[in-house]
Amino acid sequence: MKIAKTDIVFFLLASVTGGICYARFGADPVIDGTVKAGILLLEILPQLVAGLLIGGLVTRLVSREKVARWLGGASGLTGLMLATIAGLLTPGGPFTSFPMVYALWIAGADAGALIAFISAWSLLGFNRLIVWELPLLGVEFSLIRYAACLPLPILAGVLARWLTRWPAFQLKSPEAE
Amino acid sequence: MNGPLIIVWVAVLILGYFVWRREGPRGLRAGAASAAGISKTLVLRLPLALLAASFLVQIVPIEPMSRLIGPTSGVIGIFIASLLGGLLPGGPMTSFPIAIVFIEGGAGIPQMVGLIGGWSVFALHRLLAYEAPIMGWRFVALRLGSCLILPLLAGLITEVIVAVTPLG
Repeated sequence: MKIAKTDIVFFLLASVTGGICYARFGADPVIDGTVKAGILLLEILPQLVAGLLIGGLVTRLVSREKVARWLGGASGLTGLMLATIAGLLTPGGPFTSFPMVYALWIAGADAGALIAFISAWSLLGFNRLIVWELPLLGVEFSLIRYAACLPLPILAGVLARWLTRWPAFQLKSPEAE
Repeated sequence: MNGPLIIVWVAVLILGYFVWRREGPRGLRAGAASAAGISKTLVLRLPLALLAASFLVQIVPIEPMSRLIGPTSGVIGIFIASLLGGLLPGGPMTSFPIAIVFIEGGAGIPQMVGLIGGWSVFALHRLLAYEAPIMGWRFVALRLGSCLILPLLAGLITEVIVAVTPLG
């Protein structure tokens, strides 16, 4: 099995927090915390597996090229709406989404569409809602939060288009960065 | 079996059917392989992250902080909560367990929406690790400029939702 840098970071994080916990409160809270974490893991596992499968299946149905075509060029509010929908459907962590934003950028999507896309991914990501938020934070809270955030990615896209009037916010061509 | 669990597995079946109709068993295998690839990276990280979050909530004074962002703390509470959210480390696997502790500690719903919003939008860890290296600093500046008010807005919209609907 390959051990990545991130794994070491999380290992250190768990050791340090566990160590501090032991030093301050003794062994009981450490055992208690470990048991709680184990129970939580078992609780989220069935949804996590389903979420991963959804992510894998969606990559078979929606190709990167197709997404880029829908958002290319000056696309108006329709483009921002499409970018929002594409973003909220994009599964996976930042290691999937930012490469997709980069691909859209190269394909000719404008700043507003890129911002709407990444905002929708981070605020409304459907995969995260199903795998993490519903099981951990509950249906009612998740629904309220989702409804409150629904219009925000489009707003961010409009703001981004407005901000690019100033040179400091103008994106250079992808190759120049 | 609970509601969300049934929904996700129904979604798996529906998507699986579409993939099967388009690509046959080969597509299903490729989709599963892609899922297995991601789960391989999680197998060590996820238990450690849950463990770290579980210890973290015991040593960080979350209860006094929860009072700071209680249901009556209003706009200022939402603002503080969204800043706090931006500082939460890691992905949903670490930050959501911490969020649960805030909710149990007595934080208000609009403030919690601000907190999750701040975590979604500002995510310092993600910004440094992925966004800046891939997209460049100009993009980071543009995105932060465009998204600065979103967590606050999300919290305020939630105030309205909680006030006019039976939810909350």
